[in-house]
Amino acid sequence: MTCGVGGQGLMLVSNIIGLACAEFGLNIRTAEVHGLAQRSGSINTHIRIGENVLSPLIPYGEANVLLGMEAIEALRYCEYLEKDGVIILNDYMWHPVQSTFKRVQNPDEKYITFDNIRSQLEKLTGNIHVIDALDLANQAGHPLTSNVVLLGALARVEGFPLTLEQLNQIIPKVVPQKAINANLAAIKLGYNAIK
Amino acid sequence: MISEVIAEDKKQAFLFCNEAIVRGALEADVKVVAFYPGSPVSEILDTFFQISEQFGVKMEVATNEKVALEIVAGASMGGQRSLTAMKSVGLNVASDTFFSLGYTGVNKGCVLVFADDPYCHSSQSEEDGRFFAENSFIPMLEPSDPVEAKMMVKAAFEISEKFGTIVLIRTTTRINHQSTVVPLEPLNRTDFVPGKFRSYNKKYSTVGSKARELKLKMLERRDKIKAFFETSSFNSIQEGSSPIGIVVSGVSYNYVKEVIDKLGINPPILKLGTTYPLPTDLIRKFIKHLEKVIVVEELSPYLEKHVNVLAKDYNPGLEVIGKGSGHFSEALEYNIPIVYNVFNQVFKTNGDSNYDSILENASKLKSILPIRIPVFCPGCPHRATFWALQRALGGKSNEIAFINDIGCYSMLLLNSMIYPKLHPDDLLLAMGATLGTGSGISLASQEKVISVIGDSTFFHAGLPGMVNICTNEEDVVVIILDNSVTAMTGQQPNPGTGYGPSGAKKTKIEIENVLKGIGFKNVVINDCFNARNSITPFKKALEGSGPKVIISRGPCALWNDRNKRKRGEKIQPFYVDNSLCRKCHTCMRDFYCPAITMEEDIKEFTDENGKTWKGYSSHISPELCDGCGVCSIVCPYTDHENRTEKDVIKPFTRKREVRHDL
Repeated sequence: MTCGVGGQGLMLVSNIIGLACAEFGLNIRTAEVHGLAQRSGSINTHIRIGENVLSPLIPYGEANVLLGMEAIEALRYCEYLEKDGVIILNDYMWHPVQSTFKRVQNPDEKYITFDNIRSQLEKLTGNIHVIDALDLANQAGHPLTSNVVLLGALARVEGFPLTLEQLNQIIPKVVPQKAINANLAAIKLGYNAIK
Repeated sequence: MISEVIAEDKKQAFLFCNEAIVRGALEADVKVVAFYPGSPVSEILDTFFQISEQFGVKMEVATNEKVALEIVAGASMGGQRSLTAMKSVGLNVASDTFFSLGYTGVNKGCVLVFADDPYCHSSQSEEDGRFFAENSFIPMLEPSDPVEAKMMVKAAFEISEKFGTIVLIRTTTRINHQSTVVPLEPLNRTDFVPGKFRSYNKKYSTVGSKARELKLKMLERRDKIKAFFETSSFNSIQEGSSPIGIVVSGVSYNYVKEVIDKLGINPPILKLGTTYPLPTDLIRKFIKHLEKVIVVEELSPYLEKHVNVLAKDYNPGLEVIGKGSGHFSEALEYNIPIVYNVFNQVFKTNGDSNYDSILENASKLKSILPIRIPVFCPGCPHRATFWALQRALGGKSNEIAFINDIGCYSMLLLNSMIYPKLHPDDLLLAMGATLGTGSGISLASQEKVISVIGDSTFFHAGLPGMVNICTNEEDVVVIILDNSVTAMTGQQPNPGTGYGPSGAKKTKIEIENVLKGIGFKNVVINDCFNARNSITPFKKALEGSGPKVIISRGPCALWNDRNKRKRGEKIQPFYVDNSLCRKCHTCMRDFYCPAITMEEDIKEFTDENGKTWKGYSSHISPELCDGCGVCSIVCPYTDHENRTEKDVIKPFTRKREVRHDL
């Protein structure tokens, strides 16, 4: 399960995974969010890989990995994570306009913090990997490759059915020519960010 | 991805369902397509938009769904295979023509894909469009995944030609918006050869005595299609060992299959893919020896009612479990947990999944979460328009009735707390309804009526309402939000955009010329990004009586940014000069751009008069800012016209980089 805010590039992540599955003979179903919710709204993508997978939606408590491109949204979909499942958490907050609205009414009522979110998620699992994807993306050569950094981290998770090499083969087919190198660097940095 | 949709050398591809539908149509050698965009089928249009020229498919982005249906029906009568797709409420718009087509039939294969939206992900109502099929006697197929969707599109063309009728493919959002690996077949495209409408010697007129005659023929056709569907491979009985059987169609089939695996049960399953006319012999055979049957279908009890009727004659003791029995809801969409809980109860399986406690635990953890509701994008012209409108209203907010419509601006209603003067959740019904309901309220009630409508909606369903306002001299102020494209559904062009599929030039219809032609006098055009200058025209329009029209013009930010990138122009963000910010929060209040947040720490600033300003500054996220610069116009301490070093909100360069030309 991947989640974040509309416009963060979740679709590219599921596309790379899906194309890799098609290429390497794995069965996959994804459920995506399009339309209204994309406008700076909360979005998620259900990704299910496996022989007997039919439903595009993950049942509650059965996602092996929760990949949060934005921290608030990672908590919003926590019901999907299995017991002691893995969370890949981007060290990034995008405060909703509705929270700014509240602060304008009462400026001392601060935004929710990353630590607030993390401590809630820690009640669910001890397997949380916090990654500063924007920093690694900048190192890779383009700030917009945060999503691919996180995909790299996902490839490192035990049991994930695709290898880094397999994903590397797909990337040149889906990103613009001039962005290939940055994306390949980004996925590697993400992969190495998890020990 | 387009390269997957058009792949010639692959046996399978990873396709989004809407892409699989396009692939199916291409494999069936479709020649004419027409659409009006609408979620969840917009990407069918978008995909054809990119490839239609390459494959010799004649494509039109139509003004609305009714016109789109008429185009493809006419194309079929004119000798070409044709396809349209629309959302459920789009079929409402097209329904007048649709019902007549049931009577007249068509010529070459003609397919209508329509998508219901359980859960109202992006619709105003949760309709069950299956009743359209039953009511129109037009056959309907229902896929359960993208693989089947592609197969059914191909089959639908064959069925359409075999029986001379349009064929419906009914999907739901969770079908359209899923991706999977889909087997491909050869494209085998043929050249476009113009048809000969007159030479086919077919008649498509229906009225009075002709209609009565056609009705009887239509019933005969229905019976023939039913007999054909009895042996269709889209319906299947999977044998099982329990006296409790399952009848299912659509996306729910996937949930059923996974749930029976989870619970380790083996019930017989009747999966239905041809859901109008129903293969009643097959259903009868399936239910004859069962003790119970569980009917799993989202929305209304369509299959369930038919199963009940058939059971009355062929298995009167059959217990039907579904919506009537209270096990399933007629509202919202289903998932594995919902089906699991019912099956666990009916099969008495003591399954160990406890979805309810997982949800309960999660909801405790989530109690700290802020809400996140979709809002206007950074750089959205609507934000500027509504900021100016709220300013223009001053203290008169209770003296106006603000009527909303369908488009990006519908999001106002989700955020009514941040638009307190508009009360934008008061009234919003359907495409173009702002005009008729606005007229009605102005007749009946004392408030000044403001009706808002977007450019695409104006062309789609606004023209009759506008003519009505003009001829009846209604006391209504119409604000036309012209952002040049059909923004909400993915920035497709509309008649006011000036280009069509593959970027081909089209005649651009100027809204002001249309209004002038109708008879509106003094149509005011606001440059909405020049937000302060919009306030006075709004104020003036609200004075006096009679119809007034203001066009608030400025391009959709998403569309405009994409065009800028194509042209190689940089998007230049603005920033808040923290050393000068007076912490007044004006740039946030009434404006609420997602790129602007409030800082976490208190800062101080002493101005040249020795006055100290203390508080939380605002902050513009450079990665989100679109550079529209309207916040700098809103800021009382920024001279946006001359741009000096003393300005609080500044562009990273001096030049204001907002383009209004398209």
